[in-house]
Amino acid sequence: MHSDVKPSNKTNILYCTISLVVLCILLFPLYWILVTSLKTEQEIFQIPPTFWPEVLNLKSYLAQLENGDFNMFRSFGNSLIISLGAMMISIILAVPASYGIAKYDFKGKRSIIFGFLITQMLPVSVLLTPLFIMFKNFNIYNTFWATIFADATIGIPFSILILKNYFASIPKELEEAAYIDGCNRFTAFIKVLIPIAKPGVAVCGVFSFLYAWGDLAYGMTFIIDQQKRPITAGIFNFMGQYGTKWSYLTAFAVVTIIPVALIFILMQKYIISGMTSGAVKG
Amino acid sequence: MTKIKKMFKYDNVGILFVLPAFLYMIVFVGYPIIYNFILSFQDVTVKTLRKDIKEFIGFRNYIELFQQDNVLTLSLWNTLVFTVACIVFQFIIGFALALLFNKKFSFSKPVRGLLMMPWMIPITITGLIFKFMFSTDVGIINYFLRSFGIISENIDWLTNTVTAMPAVIFANIWIGIPFNMILIATGLTTIPAEIYESASIDGAGKIQAFWNITVPLLRPTIESVLILGFIYTFKVYDLVYVMTSGGPVNATQVLSTYSYKLSFEMFKYSKGAAVANILFIILFFVSLLYLKYVYTEEEA
Repeated sequence: MHSDVKPSNKTNILYCTISLVVLCILLFPLYWILVTSLKTEQEIFQIPPTFWPEVLNLKSYLAQLENGDFNMFRSFGNSLIISLGAMMISIILAVPASYGIAKYDFKGKRSIIFGFLITQMLPVSVLLTPLFIMFKNFNIYNTFWATIFADATIGIPFSILILKNYFASIPKELEEAAYIDGCNRFTAFIKVLIPIAKPGVAVCGVFSFLYAWGDLAYGMTFIIDQQKRPITAGIFNFMGQYGTKWSYLTAFAVVTIIPVALIFILMQKYIISGMTSGAVKG
Repeated sequence: MTKIKKMFKYDNVGILFVLPAFLYMIVFVGYPIIYNFILSFQDVTVKTLRKDIKEFIGFRNYIELFQQDNVLTLSLWNTLVFTVACIVFQFIIGFALALLFNKKFSFSKPVRGLLMMPWMIPITITGLIFKFMFSTDVGIINYFLRSFGIISENIDWLTNTVTAMPAVIFANIWIGIPFNMILIATGLTTIPAEIYESASIDGAGKIQAFWNITVPLLRPTIESVLILGFIYTFKVYDLVYVMTSGGPVNATQVLSTYSYKLSFEMFKYSKGAAVANILFIILFFVSLLYLKYVYTEEEA
């Protein structure tokens, strides 16, 4: 809006202060669980609460190394397998599909795009019961596959809609040059187009991973063995059994957030572009 | 050359690239949606799940849900209240923040980036965080309210039928603010600065400029943020399930949690499918509205 008007020193300080106050308020919940996870169970219940642990207590994390009722590290590994699996399926299927949609005209193209758009807005509840019965019949109920297959249904349409814009923006001349150099459609796609679309593929990978990482409904419904469940379902189960063991629960929460925070720090630019282009353009 | 030109012409080779993804979505989304419709017209419970031939009972599930079961109408109402309350607050707060971060100041970019965090946290974890903060004895929210003298006794936020819904709404607003902020901020950058300059030369104040320039020019963004917000909020599941599981006494029961409860706690799969279908039909029509809107905007 007034972006090219340079603010005076005074207004600069004012805006910086306001933005820092907003930041502290909105990110307080995250700070609060981190601090709580480092307190002893006793200190958590102390009134008034302490805003920094009096005694630094790492027991909530270390206790997970011994085998308890809920092994956080195994669940973390399960979540990794499921999320990476869903991510792979999404990318392998979405990259060619979005290229096909962006660069070719074929019968039924509009309805296919429409179908992908609609699935993006689908509530999980609609798929839960039928997929549950289907997976039982396919005999993949209670395996990683069930959750991987279900999670990929969120990543695929999102990735296609993002990548289609990337491929559409690549000039035809580049492709034509590849044909003159002796490429056919498939080799041109693999050698020329995919490398150019790399940033788009990264956005899709990140989002497909995060969708699967954050999933609770599928992981909880399609996998029944505690040993195979993803970390979100494991935590939910733990909450049901030991509802007020907040030292452990907050430690689980922190561990689950770590990969998200890492991705966020390393790929912030991609994430914001994914959010805006994916959401507004549909 | 003609051969190369021909390669770009209208042909059906493109469909080969699309086919694998399309088939995948037919198997894991298209078919289940149809299957879900069929299920909702049958009487499938845990007893009849393994039978080969399932009884077709027409609209009986729907009729029973609407006539005998007041939880359905309650869930429908709760979902609506939840959605509207969340959208109003997250939109206003998100808009205010977008205006703030549209100003040029030293911390603008990094702080705006950090504010995206709440949107990325797995919702199960967000639910856990707020369950902790809203808990009666250890909850920091009760502590703050007591220190400021707003309440004298601790409130049982999540186990009281009156306060459970506001608490869950509060948590969801926290998730939704970044989403609203970033989309509105992106919209704001498309408004050229010259329009504001000429308006201020004509003597328009800041508030006038906001209502007469910002809001009308931002209308397409505002409308798509609100409709998308409606879609994403209306299908809420994880957050409610983690914080209250729909309780106490259905006070926070929404369509998705009720569908889950019918299917996977009471093992009435057909009833659960019917509730999921009601949710689906509502969202389908809102999505159509949104898509129609986006396409006409693009063509215009």
